[in-house]
Amino acid sequence: MKRKWVIPITLVCIISGFFLSFQLKVLANNNNTNPLSQKNTNLVMIINDLEEEIKNQENIIEKIRNDLSGLENRPIPGELQELQNQLKDARIVAGLTPVVGKGIIITIDDNKEGLKTNPNDDPNKYIVHYEHILNIVSELRVGNAEAISINGQRLITSSEIRCVGNVILINTTRIAPPFEITAIGSPKHLAEIVTNGELDIMQSLNYPITLQEADEVIIPAYKSGLQFRYAKPVKEAK
Amino acid sequence: MTMWLLPILGLIIGVLVGSAVTFQIPLIYVKYMSIAVLASLDSVLGGIRSITESHFDGAVLLTGFFTNALLAALLAYLGDRLGVDLYYAAVFAFGVRLFHNLAAIRHQLLLQYRTKKNEQKR
Repeated sequence: MKRKWVIPITLVCIISGFFLSFQLKVLANNNNTNPLSQKNTNLVMIINDLEEEIKNQENIIEKIRNDLSGLENRPIPGELQELQNQLKDARIVAGLTPVVGKGIIITIDDNKEGLKTNPNDDPNKYIVHYEHILNIVSELRVGNAEAISINGQRLITSSEIRCVGNVILINTTRIAPPFEITAIGSPKHLAEIVTNGELDIMQSLNYPITLQEADEVIIPAYKSGLQFRYAKPVKEAK
Repeated sequence: MTMWLLPILGLIIGVLVGSAVTFQIPLIYVKYMSIAVLASLDSVLGGIRSITESHFDGAVLLTGFFTNALLAALLAYLGDRLGVDLYYAAVFAFGVRLFHNLAAIRHQLLLQYRTKKNEQKR
């Protein structure tokens, strides 16, 4: 039998084998059998782009704020100094400046061990839900926490804690476990109030939790812009 | 049968190389890649078929291999741009050819086996 066919077939086999395993690997890495996956990737790309844009804009805001505070810190004569101080205080209350002080650091994570040992159970019983965070934050506020941040997101009056699928939105930023909740206030007081509340419940459900009292925690400033488009101050009757 | 070792070895080498590369193509193009895979498999089977039917031509096989894989993927892509699902047409065409080739190989091998047996009997 002639053997002239061996080389071409071998060549074709090599390339076919390459294609085959390459494709298998790509599909195995993205085992997304959802028929909408292509659409999803487009949406994911859009989301990623927009988040990138938000980050850029936040950087611009931060730069402008820094410039602004540089201008404000120039020595000003007379009455303006008083106004200046008032403005600074208002900024701190609004959460537009990074603050430092005594406080506590709480970390909570999904109960991965529990899910591993009971793989057939409802996973909702083992993941951290936004309600957990919401409850902890409410308790911290009851305990007079003066500043709170979650995974670096400063909570201000307009901050939301909202469930969106498998992540949580805070300040329209997606955050995922493990969650680190930092609060400034009386460490003892805050620790007591949360350990007798939501953390106790989560502990009994075997969530991995740590609580740490610290002499110095730093809480970053709120990064986005604040805009009131509809609310106007009520005119006081003279 | 020893001459079959080389193609099988080639297949294994290809699989190993393919699983070793860390390069990733964007998910959107995975669909077109799958057509190329189908076309290349079809070419391999077509080649084996032509060997069994003893009218093998290396040039035909190689050109067919590359043009089929590339053109099929390109056409499917073009179809998606135009809003026509040519992807399914390609999958269907190559699928049918694959099974057809497989059947032809089986027929030929069976035929060869029988003629050999008859010769031995005589």
